[in-house]
Amino acid sequence: MTAQRFLLTVGTNKRNLELLAEFLGKEGYLTLAVTSMEEFDHVLDKSQEISLALVDISGFDSNIWERCDHLREKDIPLLVISPKHSAAIQQESIGRGARGVLVKPLAVRELIGLVNTLLEGSE
Amino acid sequence: MNPTTPNRISTGIPGLDDILEGGLVPGRSYLVRGGPGTGKTTLGLHFLTAGAVNGEKALYITLEETESNIRRNAEVRGFDLKGIQFLDLSPVSEFFAEVQTYDIFSPAEVEREPLTQKIVERVTALKPQRVFLDPMTQFRYLASDVYQYRRQVLSFLRFLTEQGATVLFSSESSVEAPDDDLQFMSDSVIELHADEQGRGITIRKLRGSDFRHGRHSLRLTATGVEVYPRLLPDEQVRTFVAEPISSGAPELDELLYGGLERGTVTFITGPSGVGKTTLGLQFMKEAAGRGERSVVYTFEEEVDIMLHRCESINIPARTMVERGTLHLMKVEPLRWSPDEFAQLVRRQVEIEKARMVMIDSVAGYQLAVRGENLAGRLHTLCKYLQNRGVVVLLIAEVSDVVGDFRVTDANISYLADNIIFLRYLEINGELRKAIGVLKKRLSDFEKTLREFEITRYGIKVGKPLTELRGILKGAPEWIRPKE
Repeated sequence: MTAQRFLLTVGTNKRNLELLAEFLGKEGYLTLAVTSMEEFDHVLDKSQEISLALVDISGFDSNIWERCDHLREKDIPLLVISPKHSAAIQQESIGRGARGVLVKPLAVRELIGLVNTLLEGSE
Repeated sequence: MNPTTPNRISTGIPGLDDILEGGLVPGRSYLVRGGPGTGKTTLGLHFLTAGAVNGEKALYITLEETESNIRRNAEVRGFDLKGIQFLDLSPVSEFFAEVQTYDIFSPAEVEREPLTQKIVERVTALKPQRVFLDPMTQFRYLASDVYQYRRQVLSFLRFLTEQGATVLFSSESSVEAPDDDLQFMSDSVIELHADEQGRGITIRKLRGSDFRHGRHSLRLTATGVEVYPRLLPDEQVRTFVAEPISSGAPELDELLYGGLERGTVTFITGPSGVGKTTLGLQFMKEAAGRGERSVVYTFEEEVDIMLHRCESINIPARTMVERGTLHLMKVEPLRWSPDEFAQLVRRQVEIEKARMVMIDSVAGYQLAVRGENLAGRLHTLCKYLQNRGVVVLLIAEVSDVVGDFRVTDANISYLADNIIFLRYLEINGELRKAIGVLKKRLSDFEKTLREFEITRYGIKVGKPLTELRGILKGAPEWIRPKE
């Protein structure tokens, strides 16, 4: 198991973030949940050690992409979580530096696997 | 209630135990399927309470309705839920109020584990002998795919039965979400219906046991579910003497060469108002004199009117009723299903020892059958009564008052051992009645017609009408002119 890392989780649905925290927590990850654009900015301004960001774009407007740019500027790897299969969302995400796009509902095992791989690669 | 056969456990519903040839085989799983409001939950309550009264441990696992709701509804119906444990896994109201909804993972990922854990903990701790799970279909939404669902259900059922439980689980089936897979997976399938034929219950499969096939009637009463098994004639064969029994009217007996034999079916046929019911009651009056009980099921006439009519033609029906030698029952055809009706008849024959049964009329009975196979139903009922040595009288009205002769309007005359017909005749410009016998299976009979009259002293049957021809046409002529 890797040392404890901070994962930033972004989304508008609290329950979704709780579940992410629960499943990632079982794997030994600490999560920081953010439910609004303002909070997101606030967290980005602070120089916190964030290993990976999981951004659920549902419920946000197109300003969310600017925040993705910020993440890229800070060299924080990023996974976008999308409510549907969409070529537009995929292009936009990859264009903004996302390592991948996951479509809901996620399979827990796959998500954990992906997170592990990404973090190992960034070590 | 029938005693449960060894190695069987009662469902708590006597009629259902009958259909299952004694009850449920313990340690197996039973699927109870049916649409909304067919009585699945009530059946489950019967099953659990039947175990609880014997000191068995009974567990109700609910995934949909809340425990308090179930308890309330059960109390209204008079179920004693003492001794029944509940595992309430229904969604709490906070689920809706506190934005507990999520979409990031499938419900299968999030909820299956805590749910199965709760069930496993409870079952392992309680070791129940009876489990009712309502409804199993809920698990479909907690499985990521069909394969997972099948595996989960199978292993879950195995887990429960390995713990020593007999399991009843319900399923809701609809066109969008059929439950055919569950039917393959369970040892047995009990299906409940509610449709234009009324309520019913069918056993689709019963592993390790025989059962009574076909659809049986079911009634949801104020106190729960009642099941009326379909009559099967072959299983109750009884020996009896097919002696002829007299009508009490000597000329009528002459016509029948002695009377009607026990264990035979007699059609009394004729147009409206000709005296078919009265003729039947004449046999019953004589039977009452011998101390035998007769039963009349009237589908059309009110009992009071029938009693009054009898009194006015010298049949002491009221006295017979008081002495228990006659039972008149008005049957509302749309209220009773054929199985329930059969149950009524069975009770009269087996418990009250009725020796003669009259169904007045076949057309009324046809209404009770509600579009089902009339001949099949009537055949079963008659065969059952025959096997019991009962004299069966079926009143069949023909729609034509005069004209060419017909036995009945419905094609059921093959059922008859005997056919007695009554008809109107025009003789010398006067309306008269005649009686004749068309068929008699167990003896010879008189081939001529006799005049038939209903007077205040009773039925009067005249001498054979030998000088007439064309009687069956309704407009007879004298063979030779009267001197």
